[in-house]
Amino acid sequence: MITSIAQSPLFPIANPKSIAFFGASNNYAAMGSSILTTILTDGFEGSIYPVHPKEKTVLNLTAYADVSDLPEIPDMAFIVLPTKIVVQTLKACGERGIRHAVIVSAGFNEVGGEGIDLQKQLQQIADHYQIRFTGPNCIGVVNSHLRLNATFLPSKGKQGFIGMASQSGSFITQMFSFLDDRYGQGFSTGFSLGNEANIDMVDCIEYLGACPNTRVIGLYIESIRQGQKFIEMARRVSLVKPIVAFYAGGSETGRKACLSHTGSLSGPDHLYDGVFKQSGIIRAHSIEELFDFCYTLGSSPLPRGNRLIVQTHSGGPGAAAADACERTGLELPQLSSETLEKLAPFIPHTGSANNPIDLTYTKNPLDFFHGIPEVLLEEEGADGMLIYFLASAKMVRTALTGMGVPKEEIDTQIKNIIDAQCSAIASLVTTHGKPIVGFSFLTRENDFIAGLQDRGVPVLPSPERAARAFGAMVDYTRLRNKLTQQKV
Amino acid sequence: MNPIKAALANGQTALSEFQSKQLLSSMGIPVTREELTQTADEAVSAAEKIGYPVVLKACSWKLMHKSEHGCIELNLTTPEAVRKAHNKICERTNTPLEGVLVQEMVAGQRELVVGLSRNPQFGACVMLGFGGIMTEVIRDTVFRVAPFDRVEALDMIQDLKTKPMLAAFRGQKPADLTALCQILMAVGHLGLSEESISEIDINPLIISPDGTIKAVDALIILENKGSL
Repeated sequence: MITSIAQSPLFPIANPKSIAFFGASNNYAAMGSSILTTILTDGFEGSIYPVHPKEKTVLNLTAYADVSDLPEIPDMAFIVLPTKIVVQTLKACGERGIRHAVIVSAGFNEVGGEGIDLQKQLQQIADHYQIRFTGPNCIGVVNSHLRLNATFLPSKGKQGFIGMASQSGSFITQMFSFLDDRYGQGFSTGFSLGNEANIDMVDCIEYLGACPNTRVIGLYIESIRQGQKFIEMARRVSLVKPIVAFYAGGSETGRKACLSHTGSLSGPDHLYDGVFKQSGIIRAHSIEELFDFCYTLGSSPLPRGNRLIVQTHSGGPGAAAADACERTGLELPQLSSETLEKLAPFIPHTGSANNPIDLTYTKNPLDFFHGIPEVLLEEEGADGMLIYFLASAKMVRTALTGMGVPKEEIDTQIKNIIDAQCSAIASLVTTHGKPIVGFSFLTRENDFIAGLQDRGVPVLPSPERAARAFGAMVDYTRLRNKLTQQKV
Repeated sequence: MNPIKAALANGQTALSEFQSKQLLSSMGIPVTREELTQTADEAVSAAEKIGYPVVLKACSWKLMHKSEHGCIELNLTTPEAVRKAHNKICERTNTPLEGVLVQEMVAGQRELVVGLSRNPQFGACVMLGFGGIMTEVIRDTVFRVAPFDRVEALDMIQDLKTKPMLAAFRGQKPADLTALCQILMAVGHLGLSEESISEIDINPLIISPDGTIKAVDALIILENKGSL
């Protein structure tokens, strides 16, 4: 396994200083133009050399008639040309000394017939010139930390810690705003793999495993091509950082007719379940879950076990969380007498100290963010917490107005209070080394939710999703322990 | 000669139950005590040696799912019953037989299936599942790609939904998980070392009330690479 991303064939693709761009023109409707526009609007700072047979400038950049005219050997070629000229273009790139490429163009193995032969030609040229490439039939590459977004949709440039490799073409691109709106996150680095004619998912796992900006790896899988290599690589990387996979099953055809029970029960879905377990990979069962898990695993310290405390001031969400925890295999232990004693001053007579801890209301509303979770994190019989968040800036305003705070000071005070409360929770997590997963039906438009998320406290949109994400952390702890045990 | 090579040379596309179990046994997998017999007299003397009750089964590599063909006579307790069963099986089957298998009757209600299948991307894959005739109804199965170690085999067992039946269960002792792990690993090794094996079914693998585990029926399917 590599120790630095600089050793990976994907390094120049994800961290290019210069790009030769094939297939952009001044026609904005063309796919190539659209991707180049995105690269420019997202603010990539390296050199871009559009290659175009006729145009002198492309999207206001100096264009070159031929790859041999380029003023330097660029780190990579980005190819979005019609299928029939891709092979000759890759060859010309090889002649010019370019050793890395992203081939977006489609019309290869995925269409069969002549496409299969064309893909073989690409592979032969790559072997001859020692070119490493992603694609064909992919949608580019993203590195938010370099402001490189070589896909067809602009991002808001949000940086993040989720590294992603996808076998679905534009999947990563489509998730930009989803990640930002739900979690305030972005992709650290993302690879769209396409036909995997040269670089494949195993290379991506290795790269992302070594990538310092990536805390967790997300995989969108339709079919694993090199089974044994995949398992070996994932097992090594899972020891270092979590890998979460979403497998869109059932697409594998051509399974032979089987004579045994074992054969007829060996559907890919069950098999992949085993492969993921063996590889130390956490399996997500929906796209939402893929990102819930990635986000939570990348945000939190890992729980030592599966016992957690639910803190709420509303019965319904608390009960729903408890129910979801049970179905996820998480335990809600009773609090120790020591914890109960410390908790007593915080709990009004209407509240309940039975886990889930339902406070109904808090005598001092701010205890909810500090005093109470602090006591609960100190409970030795629990490994982490789920907390329901309902507070809003409006509630703080009402309280401040009631306290007679002058109008002109209120906005500043609201901001200060929200900042202080969110920071309080975040620092409790750091001090105690136990995870807190928040849940709320509010969104990032609420300042508390955005404040918590931006300070690294994961908040998910429902008790069920929070419980499942906590379960994913427990699973990862268990899988990693297993891998460690097997290593010795 | 390697039994697989011999079978292939013989034009077989599968091993018979007897051949399958001999191969599994050579890999350290516990199988039923059994003898292949040609006549009713031989069957009776085998039964005496093994101890009643016994099971008689038609044995041929062509009979892949015997219970569906009425080729099994269970729970035979007397020489007379063995003799009658032997004749009945010979009358009922049209397939030329390797012989009639006389086999100890293993007590136990807890049944597992262990198997091997091949996947183009992953190679030899080992399956563990809820066994017996309800295998494909219950569909509680877990897979791992070979090779794997004991820790992985244990993890595999923990993934079974029906795993509570492996613990102490209705007055019966917990299943011997060490043995089960060895069986799982051995099937994986067999898959890796014998490329001509395309599928294996050990079904049922019966857990006795004392917790011991034994392969009661087995089927090994071959792929004659030469003929492809």
